[in-house]
Amino acid sequence: MTYIKLALKNILRHQTRTFLALLGIATSVALIFSIISFNRGFERGLSKELDATGLHFMVVSSGCPHEVASLVLHAAVVPKFLDIDIVNKLKQFDGIELISPILITQLPNPQKGRIDIIYGMDMNHISQLKPSWKIDGQLPSNDSEVIIGFEIADHDKLKVGDMITYTDYQKSFKVSGIIQKTGSQDDAYIYMPLKAIQEILNKPQGVTAIGVKVSRPQELNYITEEISMNVPGIQIVTMGQVLNSLANLAASAKTLSLSIAIIAIIISAVGVMNLILMAIFERTQEIGMMRAIGASRQDIFNIIMYETIIITVSGGIIGIIFSVAASGIIENFVRIFMPYVPSGRMILFEPLIAVSCLVFALIIGILSGTYPAWKASNISPIEAIRG
Amino acid sequence: MIEVKNIEKVYQRGSERVYALKDISFIARKGDFISITGPSGSGKTTLLHLIGCLDKPSKGFIKIDGIEIEKMKEPDLLTVRRQKIGFVFQHFYLIPGLSVLENVMLPLIFARKKRDLDEIISIIDKVGLKKRIYHTPNQLSGGEMQRVAIARALINNPEVLLADEPTGNLDTENSENIFELLNSLNLGGLTVIIVTHNPELAGRTKRIIKLKDGKME
Repeated sequence: MTYIKLALKNILRHQTRTFLALLGIATSVALIFSIISFNRGFERGLSKELDATGLHFMVVSSGCPHEVASLVLHAAVVPKFLDIDIVNKLKQFDGIELISPILITQLPNPQKGRIDIIYGMDMNHISQLKPSWKIDGQLPSNDSEVIIGFEIADHDKLKVGDMITYTDYQKSFKVSGIIQKTGSQDDAYIYMPLKAIQEILNKPQGVTAIGVKVSRPQELNYITEEISMNVPGIQIVTMGQVLNSLANLAASAKTLSLSIAIIAIIISAVGVMNLILMAIFERTQEIGMMRAIGASRQDIFNIIMYETIIITVSGGIIGIIFSVAASGIIENFVRIFMPYVPSGRMILFEPLIAVSCLVFALIIGILSGTYPAWKASNISPIEAIRG
Repeated sequence: MIEVKNIEKVYQRGSERVYALKDISFIARKGDFISITGPSGSGKTTLLHLIGCLDKPSKGFIKIDGIEIEKMKEPDLLTVRRQKIGFVFQHFYLIPGLSVLENVMLPLIFARKKRDLDEIISIIDKVGLKKRIYHTPNQLSGGEMQRVAIARALINNPEVLLADEPTGNLDTENSENIFELLNSLNLGGLTVIIVTHNPELAGRTKRIIKLKDGKME
């Protein structure tokens, strides 16, 4: 038998009390673990998603650039249109590898009772912009064919060769290809030749954004500066800026929620301290007995310390297991409050975060155990066993 | 051998000096069986604490096996307690969640000593609880709990067993059994010193130290 076993048996004496203290710690650690993991997942998912666009910057009409860029990522309708002439102007700059006008819009799909997100683009650019895509079927060969994301196909049970009809516009499109699951928002869009969507919207020259890929990314700053100075009426948003503004958003949300979690953990640490102090008070005579039969002050200190640490660390382990197990629920909950969250799983089990959380729980244990342990180690055997 | 010479224990209560013990001297030789008796507040337990190295006298000296303990600091007193002294208390003070075996082993953990399981079990056998080593205190009677406490006191092979009202919480039959156990341990060569209210039990020990108002009668 060891100290640890002794401490464990002591803890198990008051199961309800211990359980409540444990619950407090577990909840706080679960909070912290979820927040940090979510934030990590957010940043990871975001850069993955931005990489998936295959572009270095977006040209949009002037306005709030970051918002517009987020809208582009979201594939929501951007109210302002750019003129396609801008494309010709952009072509005059050196170092540009690809200019791809994009028109993102929403089309009502009465047959399915929902609104489809249409991503209108030059189909010839797909191999460059979306190199990771694997397409079942083939790219549209004319303006009455589309390719669709995995989720759309899965949900509507669409196969290559099926038709999608927009009755409001009396237009039908043949599904020429289905993109295999990407895990990003790409899965939820319908990709239509730019001309086709321009025609539907009756905006033959309209685009919402122009995606640009440069041949040498290290010249990105120079190129964007040149373009800004020479082409009026546009805004340039680099993917780095989009990443930053979204990451900042996530970071401030993280700071706020972490502060709440820290307050929660302080409260639960006080709860643990109270539990241990109560237990010591009740066990005064027993501790006196232990001193009489050979326990040193250090022994008593250690036993009490172990008790506290066992509670906080096992609370931490339970909290981590809980937040990994319930990550789906937690994610859906957070998604409600965040204006933009990349698709895919955010909370993944990362050993480093888990270990850090456990170290944190250990420190909480040490902090909340020190005073009770010190108090217990000062119990005099004589006072205690007078009974 | 325990030598107690001219000891005094004084407590300061406000401006008043209270003598808990005054001018106590006696010698307990190896194999002695001594009972300390006297009315409540006569200083019996205080004397036991001094012999047990839980406290230090204000004056005089106590020698255990030639070691003068009144000059010692706490860490050394602790060593003496671990090596020389076994304690038995009126209220047993077993740890509820631990089995008989684990309760008995407790002093070994504190003394960082290892003993074979067989040896430990043979000590538990001495107090007649060999068949109950895996029982927890709540499964035992008062008499059995005190037996466990005695086994715990014996585990470090002490020079002297100190028992503070060991039968104070027991009925007549169990008191008798526990006293007989202490008696048989004494017959086996162990020095036993008990504090008791019970004049009948005190009368059956080899020697009685009667205290009144902190002094020997």
